[in-house]
Amino acid sequence: MKAEEKVNPYDPFRIFWLSLHFVNLYVYPSLHSDPVDVETLRRAAASKGGLLSNELRRKVWPKLLNINVYELPYKPGKDGRENHKDYNQVVLDVSRSMKRFPKGMPSAERAVLQEQLVDIILEVLRCNPQLSYYQGYHDVAVTLLLVVGERMAIAMLHTLSKYHLRDFMDPTMDSTKHILNYLMPILEEVDKELHDFMIRAEVGTIFALSWLITWYGHVLSEFKHTLRLYDFFLASHPMMPIYLAATIVLHREQEVKQTECDMAMLHHLLSRIPQDLPYELLISQSQDLFRCYPPALLAKRPALQSRKSLSISTFKDFQLSTLHQRPDTVLQPRHSGLDVALPYDGVQQRGKGSRMVKMAVWGLSATLGAAIFAVAQTAMEWAPDVLLQLF
Amino acid sequence: MAESLSPGEFSSSLTSSASLPPPRTRIFKIIVIGDSGVGKTCLTYRFCAGKFPEKTEATIGVDFRERLVDIDGEKLKIQLWDTAGQERFRKSMVQHYYRNVHAVVFVYDVTNAASFRSLPAWIEECKQHALGTEVPRILVGNKCDLQDSVQVGTDVAQQFADSHSMPLFETSAKNPNSQGGINSGNSDHVEAIFMTVAHKLKSQKPLVLSQPPAGSGASINLSSRMEDGTDGSRGWACSSC
Repeated sequence: MKAEEKVNPYDPFRIFWLSLHFVNLYVYPSLHSDPVDVETLRRAAASKGGLLSNELRRKVWPKLLNINVYELPYKPGKDGRENHKDYNQVVLDVSRSMKRFPKGMPSAERAVLQEQLVDIILEVLRCNPQLSYYQGYHDVAVTLLLVVGERMAIAMLHTLSKYHLRDFMDPTMDSTKHILNYLMPILEEVDKELHDFMIRAEVGTIFALSWLITWYGHVLSEFKHTLRLYDFFLASHPMMPIYLAATIVLHREQEVKQTECDMAMLHHLLSRIPQDLPYELLISQSQDLFRCYPPALLAKRPALQSRKSLSISTFKDFQLSTLHQRPDTVLQPRHSGLDVALPYDGVQQRGKGSRMVKMAVWGLSATLGAAIFAVAQTAMEWAPDVLLQLF
Repeated sequence: MAESLSPGEFSSSLTSSASLPPPRTRIFKIIVIGDSGVGKTCLTYRFCAGKFPEKTEATIGVDFRERLVDIDGEKLKIQLWDTAGQERFRKSMVQHYYRNVHAVVFVYDVTNAASFRSLPAWIEECKQHALGTEVPRILVGNKCDLQDSVQVGTDVAQQFADSHSMPLFETSAKNPNSQGGINSGNSDHVEAIFMTVAHKLKSQKPLVLSQPPAGSGASINLSSRMEDGTDGSRGWACSSC
């Protein structure tokens, strides 16, 4: 019997270990190559386990969106922000978003972050008057803020709004509806019976609306799951959240078919996303679905021809633009006065101690990386086929 | 959407409906609309789960809650469709959920005058979705426990309700007993509001009932405001003619 047959490919420990190996062998070299090897970074973010740590996310996420860490937007001022047409709505939504912050965070600290959240949302909207705020945009913004800090969050949100989230930010939601309209055709391709059942129930697709426009940030209670999906979506085509929605519905096929064929019942069942989904499995299944039924193929259907998606049509150019990035070591200005934006969990490090802490962390990472590299090398000698089948 | 709200509110009705065979449980579908932040989610949760939710978030799209109630010996399923308040969701998103609606609950926040001024737009919205005048509508002024910051007086609201032939209820999803009123005593006011609608719907459906409609006045006693005389019961009496 072959060794790999005994192995569960979705065993969390195994995924973690192999991802760590992947990170050290491929991700760090990719970050330092000139130009940055964005293709490998994408593969790392989408492959099993994702980017594993927020430290790595802070390095890789900006590269996935073609952001220069040394040219971040300045911290926005508060002047006149309440004059923005969406100010009240943003404040209302942010003030109700307590669940998005880590449990046990002191309320004063949370209040500071909520203020920053309002600022970054309004700053991006102010710079892009053609974009409209939607309820759920704040769920995307908070995820970025908690990982990469205020200034980087502005830069990332800015890029995402122009590309991946662009369709949701029209003055009306017609384009959003158009994207949701891809869901049923994907289901039809895979499971006609399930599709017909849902059509008979007239359940519609609004149950997946918040999944799509918040990248699942609004519906997942575990932040680590949200982060894992953000790794995946930042590295993928803007339509990927819809393919994941299809995968989730297909995953629950039995439950769906056993439910009364009724709009209310099905909407209720589907809109409540189970919190224990096998994310790694679903991610790889959505990638398969995407390969088998790409958006371009589905777009030929009469129902999907009426409208063009800006997110889809601009994606290719966007993706190409990410391929010419210089590594941070080259970008880094010679004079060290520039302050790289610090994320939430680095706020307290500001000042003199910051550099020491960074160096210590870097040293530790390097040592750990070397150790893991050695272990990985040994493992490669012992069971190379097991390791290689994953990459 | 608001997954934390889900367990209690739904399981009871599911189990009880499963134990109810042939005599089909009639379902009444009620849509709850109004500006963002007026408390639609809290009101519907309060009625379906029996308590005030700890934290609510912005509703994205449409949420669904239901509860089985017993009215005069008949089990009825009350389905509440809780909608997003932001304007952009109304046009292309929520329309699907206006279909076959049996009643509409308009909600405004008594501490937010703008939410009251939006009501004509919401009423217009209903018209555009071809909801006939026979569909009962009620107006709910929420958050009346915040007495110090009231911006919409009862008189103004009552006038508005009268002009649109709707009954008015002022309540608080957080503290439903705060609007004690003359007759409510310790009863739960949010409960009373939705039960009033349920009574109204039950009595209004002669075709489905296949029996003569019951007197529509009977349902109105639940609210103290309804007994004041010149109120929205007029509207309802008309609609059931």
